[in-house]
Amino acid sequence: LLIQVLNGLVYGSLLYILSVGLVLVFGLRRVVNFAHGGLFMLGAYVAYSCSLIGGFWLGLIAGTLALCALGAVIDRLVFRPLQNQDATVTLLVTFGILLVIEDFVRTIWGKDFLALSEPASLAGVIPLGGSQFPVYRLAIIAAAIAVAVGLSLWLNRSRYGLYVRASSVDPVTTEMQGVDTERLGAMVVAIGSGLAGLAGVIAAPLVTLSPTMGSYIQIDCFVVVVTGGLSSFAGAFIAAMLIGQIHNLGVVFVPEAASMIPLLLMALVLAFRPGGLAGKPTA
Amino acid sequence: LRTTRRQLLAGSLAAAGIGAVRPTFAADPIRIGVPTPLSGAYADLGNQAKRAIEFAIDEVNGAGGLLGGRMLEVRFLDTEAKPELARQQGEKLALGGYNLLMAAVNSSEGLAIAGMVDRWNALYISTNHKADDLTGKACNARVFRVNKPDAADMTLIRPWLATRSETKWSVLCVDIVAGHSAAANFKAAITGAGKTVVSENFASLGTSDYAPYIEQISSAGAQGTLVVLAGRDGINFVTQAGKFGLLDKVIIAGTSFITDNVVKVLGDKAKGLWGAINYSATIDVPTNKTFVENWQKKHSGERPSNYEGDAYVGMQLLVQGLQKAGSSKPLDVAKALSGQTIKTIVGEQTVRKADNQLIGPNFFGEVRLVDGTYRPVVTMSLPGDKAFPPPNGSCKMNS
Repeated sequence: LLIQVLNGLVYGSLLYILSVGLVLVFGLRRVVNFAHGGLFMLGAYVAYSCSLIGGFWLGLIAGTLALCALGAVIDRLVFRPLQNQDATVTLLVTFGILLVIEDFVRTIWGKDFLALSEPASLAGVIPLGGSQFPVYRLAIIAAAIAVAVGLSLWLNRSRYGLYVRASSVDPVTTEMQGVDTERLGAMVVAIGSGLAGLAGVIAAPLVTLSPTMGSYIQIDCFVVVVTGGLSSFAGAFIAAMLIGQIHNLGVVFVPEAASMIPLLLMALVLAFRPGGLAGKPTA
Repeated sequence: LRTTRRQLLAGSLAAAGIGAVRPTFAADPIRIGVPTPLSGAYADLGNQAKRAIEFAIDEVNGAGGLLGGRMLEVRFLDTEAKPELARQQGEKLALGGYNLLMAAVNSSEGLAIAGMVDRWNALYISTNHKADDLTGKACNARVFRVNKPDAADMTLIRPWLATRSETKWSVLCVDIVAGHSAAANFKAAITGAGKTVVSENFASLGTSDYAPYIEQISSAGAQGTLVVLAGRDGINFVTQAGKFGLLDKVIIAGTSFITDNVVKVLGDKAKGLWGAINYSATIDVPTNKTFVENWQKKHSGERPSNYEGDAYVGMQLLVQGLQKAGSSKPLDVAKALSGQTIKTIVGEQTVRKADNQLIGPNFFGEVRLVDGTYRPVVTMSLPGDKAFPPPNGSCKMNS
């Protein structure tokens, strides 16, 4: 059972890194970014190509940075001009971006499956309660903790973090106080996309690279974000870990309903706490 | 409108007693509709079918077409491996004149289409569906299957299971009709061989993380595992099982599993995996050699995969059905094919009258290193008359 709990943590960690990017973007730009799964997938592909040149670590850095840059571009060309449009418009546009990314990847990398290996330093297994557990999976948990700690330090201790928090509560007042919210928005979307890319690179050694690899995890990711509360960082963390556990323990104890339980949880949360686990109860 | 006008013209010509009506139609293409997953978890499989169908069509059209110079024309529509979408796309194709349908991937898609062929006045050829029901209780005079159903793969796995010393087995299948059908057959085969099933799991199509299933297999103390996970699912499972050290402890075999494209991606990780091999470019008969050579000329040296081989056989069935019927009407083709012997790349095969299953040889083998690359290698084969169980009693042909 220890192994299953750890497995749940691994999956939850991956979901967390991916969903927290979505939460960041929503918090500041009020955009439900349907392209997030596409960014995840693109990060993995960029890392794949760069890893052929300089190994996994170069891939990790390149995948994350490339997606940061793409995020800034998307913000400038899409989110900012559409700021005052109806939310449905932006939603549809992000869905369009997802399709463009998928076709772009098909054109550049082809439809065949690709595989990216983990770095040799993390390739082994460690004995754990009579079984073996891959080191790389433990590293994923560590990465999620690092992201969580880093983000919370940045948001709570730094000047920009203060701006981000202020701006997500009241963008107009924040702007009147002299904060350049447009630049801030670009920065946050870049970080959010970079996190999607990072999640993609981290997931790549576990799963096969294919143009549609983002679409499956994206569904779980939306469940996490909705369950946790759309603009809550802590909520995303709690919900991701919870769904990771439910997902895995469900397979063990109620295999027939395993794929349904996360959705059931989301429905319950929406019914009784529409703002999400960490959101305002009245929201 | 154009056809109506033509039909009117033809009708009036015929009424006037002028014989030359046929040539007016001669230029009409023969339309083939392919509702298949071009995106999603089974996109790779759908695209393989697409490549093989296009290849076969180029051959036929290059040789002047069929039925007095009519060219073959094909239309592909994406089904995303979803049965409801497959039914919609099949309908769109069939009612749009592309009523010679073939080559969806997911068994649920095939069953959704097969249930509608009468209403659509269409024909359907399965090149991929494993679910026994397609030639069992859902069988239809207009539905044919050229690939091996699950029951045939199981006929193959029984003698192999008998040679294994492992007694505790687990079963992991994809959570769709074909997976459940395979799991039921697996369990029967395992218990029939005097072994026990210690765990049984179904993973959703497109699962990213197989860790919970791997741990289930491991903690249940299984010595062997039978899996039905195709395409990306199979790759993800084997990659992750390798990381947990499962592949060293447990022997793994499957159906729809060690397919060419999966083994290509897995490389050395696929070493020692066992499974049914429904078609292989290495099958040593002259017709297959010629096919492989022609294929390689067109695809920069790449060999046809098992799914490409099966889809090509599907086209051979259709082409010979058209020739025998002398017509491109779905029902005429279906009637002409029933009980017929067809020339295929792996030798002559017969369409079984009782259920429209094409009866041919089936193979089993292991992934081994051959000439520097890992490939499925045939270690055992069964001829057509031994490879299939008798027709399923629940099949009642309706028309």
